[in-house]
Amino acid sequence: MSVSNEDNMSPHMQLSSHFFGDLLDSIIVDVASECHRIARLGLDRNLEEEEEELRLSAQARVTVADPSNSGETNGKYVVDIFGQTHPSVANEVFDCMNCGRPIVAGRFAPHLEKCMGKGRKARAKATRSSTASQNRYSRGSPVSAYSSYSNSASTNRLLNGTYSHTVEEYSNGTCEEP
Amino acid sequence: MAPGHEISVDVDRAELFCCACRDYVYDRDFDAAVVLSSKANYIHTNVNSDNLRKKRRIVEYRPWLPDIQERVLVNNNSSVLSFVEDRPWGLRGLNNLGNTCFMNSVLQALLHTPPLRNYFLSDKHNRYYCQQQKKSGNDNGVVGGKRSNGGDGNGGKGLRLCLACDMDAMFSAVFSGELVPYSPGKFLYSWWQHAANLASYEQQDAHEFFISMLDGIHEKVEKDRHKPHSLGHGDCCIAHRVFSGILRSDVMCTACGFTSTTYDPCVDISLDLEPYQGSSAKSVSLKTHSCNGEADCKNSSQNGGISTLIGCLDRFTRPERLGSDQKFFCQQCQVRQESLKQMSIRKLPLVSCFHIKRFEHSSIRKMSRKVDRYLQFPFSLDMAPYLSSSILRSRFGNRVFPFDGDETDASNEMSSEFELFAVVTHTGKLDAGHYVTYLRLSNQWYKCDDSWITRVNENIVRSAQGYMMFYVQKMLYYKAGEKQVAQ
Repeated sequence: MSVSNEDNMSPHMQLSSHFFGDLLDSIIVDVASECHRIARLGLDRNLEEEEEELRLSAQARVTVADPSNSGETNGKYVVDIFGQTHPSVANEVFDCMNCGRPIVAGRFAPHLEKCMGKGRKARAKATRSSTASQNRYSRGSPVSAYSSYSNSASTNRLLNGTYSHTVEEYSNGTCEEP
Repeated sequence: MAPGHEISVDVDRAELFCCACRDYVYDRDFDAAVVLSSKANYIHTNVNSDNLRKKRRIVEYRPWLPDIQERVLVNNNSSVLSFVEDRPWGLRGLNNLGNTCFMNSVLQALLHTPPLRNYFLSDKHNRYYCQQQKKSGNDNGVVGGKRSNGGDGNGGKGLRLCLACDMDAMFSAVFSGELVPYSPGKFLYSWWQHAANLASYEQQDAHEFFISMLDGIHEKVEKDRHKPHSLGHGDCCIAHRVFSGILRSDVMCTACGFTSTTYDPCVDISLDLEPYQGSSAKSVSLKTHSCNGEADCKNSSQNGGISTLIGCLDRFTRPERLGSDQKFFCQQCQVRQESLKQMSIRKLPLVSCFHIKRFEHSSIRKMSRKVDRYLQFPFSLDMAPYLSSSILRSRFGNRVFPFDGDETDASNEMSSEFELFAVVTHTGKLDAGHYVTYLRLSNQWYKCDDSWITRVNENIVRSAQGYMMFYVQKMLYYKAGEKQVAQ
């Protein structure tokens, strides 16, 4: 409200207007005082750094999403940093700590699960569909059963860098249970 | 406050104004008095901390140089590792043992956790010595102390279960300079033995594994020492010395201001993803199946309101009104009252692990789903705003005062800055996903995808979908990277 208006206000209105002005000033000074305190004591957060990180992140996502420089983004590896290439199922062979039999590294977990006689498979056995369990439990010796593990599961891995297999035989590798 | 000020008091705001400076001035003693009087008026704080006021020792960093005698010992008893210039030590792929990427991803992060690595590489936990000691403790079978550097599977039987020994073996193997991927079979075996007791055997979640294996290291050390350690101090074992911090939780009565405080040790901080604002929820759910991790953040970048780690931490530490259905019993009012709850960090760990709750479980609908949404995380993180001292200070109008018998802020500030060094990411769906770890060594990022180690651009990391983020105190990060920096 302008000064010219004040002339034709009643004294009562002038007084309220004055009080309002005082209250408003006080609130503004409150906020200013808080900010002053934070700034002077160095308690303010480093917003510039946070914004810079946000900016870099946004920029990175744009760059990565750009199909023209997908050089590093696709999951297909040719060689690792040592110039090596690796099979989709690790083929190192070592002896099982539990039974002492030689096991291929890439199939060690499903072997061990059975070998130790614990875990999901023992319990899941009852609930699995008959076709899946037939395949698994019909073999006599545990060793011969591994051959049935070489399903198509891990072959996709090299292509897209993920496990997109049907989780039939050794489903212990992914996420949580409900 | 320095002399020479001409002080007057702003009574409305309880602030000091100096007529000579023509500005507000701040004084620690004055602030403390203001807080004290306001506390006396309406707040009685009840603190049940046990021995939290332990004095912090400040230990200077000193590089170790062997003296002549030590040098002779070192020369006679060690084989020289071949040094390759262009890549940092300790990069070695881990073979997937059959859907064990959840384990490999966490192990890669742990193998490059600076304080943990320094501990094991400086022989603080020697597996041969440890097993021998245990054997003399109980005459039980053979010691399989075959010195197979890097190899495993040398007879787990007869050896006593000790996850720290297995970590030690793995550290030697990974830092041996060997390039062929390592098979962490023995570790899996030991961990399953350990975790079977806890019935968490079936959980194949990287975070679950992380918690369980730290617990495994802690438990064994605890048993061996026969000494009661309080978990809170985090000096009981290497796992807790590195990862454990203390959370403070305040529950404040909204009627009288009475505050009840509890302290809880933690080895990581689990954060909820912020609920989505805006319309992009749909687009995100549409693209979840193109599970190629690096490229899956296109859509969310377009809307400004992306989730951030800092946002999650803000939410984690903001006061939260507890519902009227969970009133707490106020000791002062002697009735159940509505309350405010606020979390803060009383003690920061050396290494902070943030776990993003991406897996949602609904017990009502009996289903789980994965929240496949981008979360921005900074490479450098300042934890100062989330410290109890900062939270309390802001609760009392940013007055400078010593809270809770705490040390001064200076020592906190020094250790509140963190650097990111590992990100465990999850791509794909809930039941068929894949874990990959990004490691930052000498400021270069490496992607550890089971047996594959590749160099990646930092943009890939920035845009990756983080599941667990590992930050180390900047001081330690710098010291750890010093050697490479010097070259």
